[in-house]
Amino acid sequence: MAELLQYVANGLVSGGIYAIVAIGFITIYNVSKVINMAQGEFLMLGGMITVTFISMNIPYAGAVILAILLVTALGILIQKYIIANAKNANPISLIILTIGVSTLIRGVASLLWGKDPFALPPLTSNDPVSFGGITVAQQSIWVILSVLLILFGLWYLMDKTMLGKKINACSVNTLAARLMGISPVKMTMLSFAISAATGAVAGIVIAPLSVTSYDIGALLGIKGFAAVILGGLGNPIGATVAGFLLGLLESLGAGYVSSGLKDAIAFLILIAALLIKPSGLFGERSVGKGGL
Amino acid sequence: MESKYRNFSKKSIPYALLVLLAPFILTDDYYHSVMVVAGMHAIVVLGLCLVMGLAGQISLGQAAFWGIGAYTSAVLTTKYGIPPIAGLVAAAIIPGLFAFVLARAIAGLQGYYLAMATLAFGYIVQIGIGEWESVTGGANGIIGIPPIGFFGESELGMYYLVWGIVTVLLIFSLNLVHSRVGRAYRAIHKSEIAATSMGVNVRQFKLSAFVVGGMFAGISGGLYAHYMGILDPQPFGLHESILFITMVVIGGMTNVWGALIGTIIIEVIREVLIALSHVIPELKGDIDTIVYGAILILIMMFMPEGLVPRIRAVYAKSKASKRDVQPKPERGEVA
Repeated sequence: MAELLQYVANGLVSGGIYAIVAIGFITIYNVSKVINMAQGEFLMLGGMITVTFISMNIPYAGAVILAILLVTALGILIQKYIIANAKNANPISLIILTIGVSTLIRGVASLLWGKDPFALPPLTSNDPVSFGGITVAQQSIWVILSVLLILFGLWYLMDKTMLGKKINACSVNTLAARLMGISPVKMTMLSFAISAATGAVAGIVIAPLSVTSYDIGALLGIKGFAAVILGGLGNPIGATVAGFLLGLLESLGAGYVSSGLKDAIAFLILIAALLIKPSGLFGERSVGKGGL
Repeated sequence: MESKYRNFSKKSIPYALLVLLAPFILTDDYYHSVMVVAGMHAIVVLGLCLVMGLAGQISLGQAAFWGIGAYTSAVLTTKYGIPPIAGLVAAAIIPGLFAFVLARAIAGLQGYYLAMATLAFGYIVQIGIGEWESVTGGANGIIGIPPIGFFGESELGMYYLVWGIVTVLLIFSLNLVHSRVGRAYRAIHKSEIAATSMGVNVRQFKLSAFVVGGMFAGISGGLYAHYMGILDPQPFGLHESILFITMVVIGGMTNVWGALIGTIIIEVIREVLIALSHVIPELKGDIDTIVYGAILILIMMFMPEGLVPRIRAVYAKSKASKRDVQPKPERGEVA
């Protein structure tokens, strides 16, 4: 029983990260119909930049804030100078383009930081806390708290503020939004900024749990996308639930089946989900087999 | 009406001369091994070109078929002692079967869904190869894979074998593109709905494109296994799949010759980077990754149709302006 609870606890922690990555995908997709394959790279950069700033003796909080700002700026630049300028942007071109972005970032990161993994000190102490027979790292609690905070923040932004309503308007009908004086260009840029910032936060809070290195982005990105598909493309709540579910299944599978297959589990679930219900578990809004 | 295979006959002479004479122009053993590997890559890329350019289906897991082919032949020859040639045949069939099953499962998917499904497939295969220790040797891999022994075991013999296969598959691809089947593929690429309404069995054609692409990659993998003599799971991941995508994209996705030229361009760039890294040791990181990424971005931003169709369009335009005739439309062209 304690074993099961332990796996559940671990699963919720990684699941929370997948949920944030998934929301990042959807934030961009809903406004611009682009799936940004470089989403995982935002997480990698968040962690790596923070490590660098801390090694430059900048205080923890300052390093975190600077890293988030830098990654957000990069997200905006990518949108403004690369994605927005793509000609004949059909889905295949956009996939290849954003794969190019992700490959480029990964290559530059390997040049800047080398291929060795880095460890980020945990936010609070290294001592694990235990309750009810399960032991979790203190950092895991920070991860869960940040995930909840990000999810709440995004919900508040999207549902309760004027800015969120503008973003929503663009995702419902770009032309109508434009006629109402909303700039879809600005909203697209904003969606990239949001997804880069949340990705950076996720990358920073998870870095002390596992090590971070130049190439963690691809794996995290595709697992986040698995959550997107599982939850239904375009549906943030579905993606959140699916993210946690994926984390749980992965943790249970690694615990009870084989730890070596841990990374394959998410992909097997992704393919199974595509076969059984391409529109996702909660996918009313997505097109599933059609269009995109 | 010219001959059906006009595109091959016109370009085949310089191509044949180049392939035959290349080992005598660059005589160094090192260059021979580079050209052998380039030929193996070209085989995968030709298959990927049929999948992506002709049928319009994205595959981000092509390295997985390459790996399945390599391991099929390696396992059969080392563990069961079958001759390498039979291993090569199996290296075409087994990945073809994998592609068939995968494509049957995901043939209804498009765009992002298909991209992610193939990407996930690639990861699963690479992880599976690493974990299935009793057969694949896990991370330690397989050693002592017998060479094919074509013209002895010389580098030159391997070169002619590989490029002979490239040539056969090139002719096959060009004929396919210009056949009735090729027209059906192009129709699917443009509009699946229109193609369906014209009586094209879209599902079946997509399936066959994946199978042919998988078989090409498998053959190449088999050759790779026997050429290297040792295998481990490392080369069969995302990095390699992206390499293949870059090769297809730079030359021109919809263009068989473009795929071949794209492969050679990237191989040359790789060699230049290796040479540079000897001069500037700081360039040791994944400098090639940076280059692939930049190429993918620049091509998709400025000439999504690729180099070869673009150059041809510019050439046709300049010729037409001399004659003061409008150029023929070049959109969606093949060959």
